Amino acid sequence: MATARLGLAVAVFLLLTAVQIQTNYHFLLKSPNNKDSIADFLVINKILDNDNLGNTQLDQQLIDEIAKQPFTESVGLLNPSRFKASIQSISNQFPFYTDISFESVPSNFIDIKNTEFTWNPTAAFVPVIVPNMFLDIYNFQFSLSQDLPQLTPAFVKMIVFKLTVYGKNGPISFNAKIVGLSDRISSMLVPTEFIQWGNNYAEKQTDNTVSRLVLKTNDPSNPAIASFLKQKNLSTNTEKLRFSKYRKVIDTVVAISGLAGGIMLIFALIIFTLFVQLTIANCKQEIILLITLGAAPNQLSKFLLKQFYPGNILSIGIATILVVILQWGLKIVLEQQMIHLPVFISWYTLLTAFLLALLLWIVTNQSIQKHINA
Amino acid sequence: MIFELKKVIPTIIADRPSVEFSDVWGNDIQWKKGEFIKITAPSGTGKTTLVHILYGLRKDYIGDFFYEGKNILQLRPSELAQIRQQHWSIVFQDLRLFSSLTARENIELKRVLYDPIITEEQLSEMANQLGIKSILNQPATKCSYGEQQRIGILRALMQPFDFLIMDEPFSHLDNVNKKIAAALISAECKRRNAGIIITDLDKDDHFDYHISLNL
Repeated sequence: MATARLGLAVAVFLLLTAVQIQTNYHFLLKSPNNKDSIADFLVINKILDNDNLGNTQLDQQLIDEIAKQPFTESVGLLNPSRFKASIQSISNQFPFYTDISFESVPSNFIDIKNTEFTWNPTAAFVPVIVPNMFLDIYNFQFSLSQDLPQLTPAFVKMIVFKLTVYGKNGPISFNAKIVGLSDRISSMLVPTEFIQWGNNYAEKQTDNTVSRLVLKTNDPSNPAIASFLKQKNLSTNTEKLRFSKYRKVIDTVVAISGLAGGIMLIFALIIFTLFVQLTIANCKQEIILLITLGAAPNQLSKFLLKQFYPGNILSIGIATILVVILQWGLKIVLEQQMIHLPVFISWYTLLTAFLLALLLWIVTNQSIQKHINA
Repeated sequence: MIFELKKVIPTIIADRPSVEFSDVWGNDIQWKKGEFIKITAPSGTGKTTLVHILYGLRKDYIGDFFYEGKNILQLRPSELAQIRQQHWSIVFQDLRLFSSLTARENIELKRVLYDPIITEEQLSEMANQLGIKSILNQPATKCSYGEQQRIGILRALMQPFDFLIMDEPFSHLDNVNKKIAAALISAECKRRNAGIIITDLDKDDHFDYHISLNL
């Protein structure tokens, strides 16, 4: 019997661990504290190969299909500039000039919360969002090779430069400022109004085709995303999908743990049922005599349940305490890596423990009733 | 609280013309709470069968048997258990003690099966009266048959009852111990205002019987 109870404790531990791992993972996905570690926005475009050179537009049907996927929270189209443009410094101390292009996205896809990220032709400057990566390239490669000073993000945001748009009526220049640095979308972003104005000015407004879009998802680790993108010959920043690999590993661990726990639980239940049957069979004469002397069947059931059930509750209790300790240890270990988990096990895990206790009660009680009345 | 037998005959006796009719078998009988009833019969005439029918253990009879107007055959197990806990107590001829328990445990078990009405001190006092106090901690089956009989009697007195049913309860007791046991039983029955239904081979004057029948 002790072996069966040990087996039950291990089975319950495995099942509760499976539930707790799953809830921990979902916590990491949903928790704002861990938001930085998991991507929510995926920039998607066609995989460029010899067959689709010059034909990388995403048609409306495909965009609608992406929007309908269960992993999609919302879709934002990246609107590219179709006009020629250049930027150049207005300071002799820090001279630069380059041709450039921009994109825009709906404002709810921008992670720089800046009220100035709009534009109209009378605005003092054109706000620009630059990928962090660009500044890193400048600071840690370009500036070193060109003997230029390194620039902090705060300093970069103070630089005003000249942005020139070329159209059929000649070039028009604006002042421009970098208002934010972002990791979300690897593109030079300007307000949608500016892109529309520029495209109109260059008389390219008729061409509204889209080649890239931003997909907002609440679970970038969902393996269905990688699978869908592969099926549709689309690509995204694979680094942002790395969690899908972890997710597969976690799903496998959870499945194995859950399966092993489930099988052990079934064996434990069978052993308990047999044990109850054997015990009652051994005491059959005594049970008959007790009933003869006036013991009610319910009274006997309760008595026998008191003999069998507390041990089962103890097994479940010990398994739950072990999961609590495991969660506590996991929190301490992962905290050193800036991954924050709750210190206590989830309600789902507690509910599972309660349901297992209920299941055992039902199985034990039914087994007792069946053999007492036999 | 009334026992009511209406032409009850055990099926195994029904085929025997010689015993088909007696004071009990085949007659209409009523026994009320507080009455002391003696049933005398030679061996093999169904004393134990009668006791088992009265205690609801046997259902193989013709006729009807009611307790408090309820047909015993139609009672649910829980109802029968409730009657055995509150209304009937019994001393079996074969005693039916738990072999793995001590004498005290056998008695205690009946005492605590429901809300105890006898204290441990009263139990000890009664055991002392019956002369079995010294063997209370011995395994019941190691005791002599006479001691076991007194254990069975004491066990029967541990619960509330309206009728105490006894099947040859003094068969292994000497006359002195018979009188002591009968006095204790009589006192406990009077305390509860309960009746006695006792079967035996011969007539006796252990109790002041209200009814004496031959089986």
